[in-house]
Amino acid sequence: MTQGALPEGTRFLAPAEAAARAAAIDVLRRLYEAWGYQRVEVPALERLDPSHPRGDKSFKLVDVGGGVLSLRSDFTPSLARLVRSAFPAVAAGEERPLRLSYDGLVWHAIDPELARGREFTQVGIELIGVSSARADAELIHLARESVRALGLSPRVEVGNPAYVTALFDAACVPDEARRGLADAIDRKDQTGVEEIVTGLSLRGPAADALVAVPDLYGDASVVDVALSSAPSQAASEALERLAGVLDEFEDSSELMLDLGLARRLSYYTGVTFRAYTFDFGQPLLGGGRYDGALLPRAAGFAMGLGRVLAAVAAAGGAGDDDSSPLVVTVDDVAARRLRAGGCRVARAVSTDPQHVEREAQALGADYLVTPESTGPDRIVALKGNAVGRNRIAALLGTGART
Amino acid sequence: MSDLVLALPKGRVLERALATLAKAGVAVEVPADPRALRYAGDGVSVLVMRNADVPTYVDLGVADAGLVGQDVLLEAGSRLYAPVDLGFGACRLSLIRPQGATTPVARVATKYPRLTTEYLRRAGSPAEVISLEGNVELACLSGLADAVVDVVETGATLAANDLVEVDVIALSSVRFVVNRAALKLKSSTLRPLIARLREVSGRSE
Repeated sequence: MTQGALPEGTRFLAPAEAAARAAAIDVLRRLYEAWGYQRVEVPALERLDPSHPRGDKSFKLVDVGGGVLSLRSDFTPSLARLVRSAFPAVAAGEERPLRLSYDGLVWHAIDPELARGREFTQVGIELIGVSSARADAELIHLARESVRALGLSPRVEVGNPAYVTALFDAACVPDEARRGLADAIDRKDQTGVEEIVTGLSLRGPAADALVAVPDLYGDASVVDVALSSAPSQAASEALERLAGVLDEFEDSSELMLDLGLARRLSYYTGVTFRAYTFDFGQPLLGGGRYDGALLPRAAGFAMGLGRVLAAVAAAGGAGDDDSSPLVVTVDDVAARRLRAGGCRVARAVSTDPQHVEREAQALGADYLVTPESTGPDRIVALKGNAVGRNRIAALLGTGART
Repeated sequence: MSDLVLALPKGRVLERALATLAKAGVAVEVPADPRALRYAGDGVSVLVMRNADVPTYVDLGVADAGLVGQDVLLEAGSRLYAPVDLGFGACRLSLIRPQGATTPVARVATKYPRLTTEYLRRAGSPAEVISLEGNVELACLSGLADAVVDVVETGATLAANDLVEVDVIALSSVRFVVNRAALKLKSSTLRPLIARLREVSGRSE
């Protein structure tokens, strides 16, 4: 094995990238905190759980006792366990909102291909203990604001897989055919849907609705179109839930309806959504309602941070670097004052004045502060400007000379 | 808004693909230089590539949409939107054996290792799969494998080499595929294009 080679699908983050990632996490944490979400942490090591919805994607490890552990492949099941342990009443069905946020690494044991990592950072929230259009709308709103907070222009597609499930029930689609049909609907494969519906000899309004559903995407009018010919009570209810979510938005111009969202039908039981931004071909985040799957009432979303940061970079970067000036000095007293004043100060390793200047240049420092003994001109602006120089002078208590 | 970027497979399908797009109102000028990899049209640019690469370009959003055979999509395990079956390039993906072969299949050569493995697993066969790049029928004739999985259009190649289709695994024809984000973000361009492509391929209701 090549020495120093990383496992495929993992990577280093050099300082610039690590800083961008930390800044993005910070922005999102503040956003969720401002909306009343409380941050929690869950272990990255889990006991292998055969019922885990993403269990097939998890790395397995052998525990010292011989049991099998897995690395976290999805936050949601772990958060559900946290809720069962810390909020048993909510887990048992008590109706009260529980707002949780998280961020951390997840690992997917997949063939490394198609520019997809196997170790990546997810940031997300869960709104547990309530199930209503208003709760769905809160998550969609925060999905949109998460994208906007990172400097991107959001577009969110919204659908309700419960509508597709209701059509399956109304058309009496046999269980063994549901997966293939859901897949064809989700891929908007009109020919495929027609072939399956014809092959199963399905007829009537529910069969017609199944053939029509892949093309029902666009603005809010698609909900009305579908409602006018909903083949069952359950189908109408699923559509009315979507209409209720839209009613919660004053301006729904950034939302795009898609009644053909039929991904993971056995997991998602209600409104689901994905966020995109312009000129970036992959979804930035995804989520939805999974009432009954892990908890009686729960919905949430997760954002893949690496992908979002790639979108930010593709859109021209994160804008101005507003970090504080970097100063290099040999003078520890000066360093203490400057740090207290909000500067970043690196101690010069060398004490030789010429070496110190080279050191500061190599670090990309904005200013060099020479020892007090060198007199009033001790602040050398390397990349910094006069304003910053005056600020440093004030912190040091020396006269500013520009 | 930026140009619509289309990924098209080089080779036989390309001419038919461009003709179909032209009928649907997307005119693309084919450059005089046959080595050109990018063609520009009015509000459209076209990337020309090997057919197996089309799903990758569209999935990652480098191309907004593309044309590619269903056989390639199945092999790629693609989750792309595939809203139009353009009808041309029709073929079958079949299990092929020498005339009169009766022994159990032990080794299958193919350009479609994923589909073949799935097919054999479904059929409960323990046969091993050999992945080849082309002319897979040769594997059967030379004894490298005792069966192959490959596309069959007319069956003429098979007949000429004393091979027979034993089982049809899947039917294929060229599909118009669309990136998931692009369909939503460029729907003002893509929706009408999908409707026109369905019309010209006789697939509109």
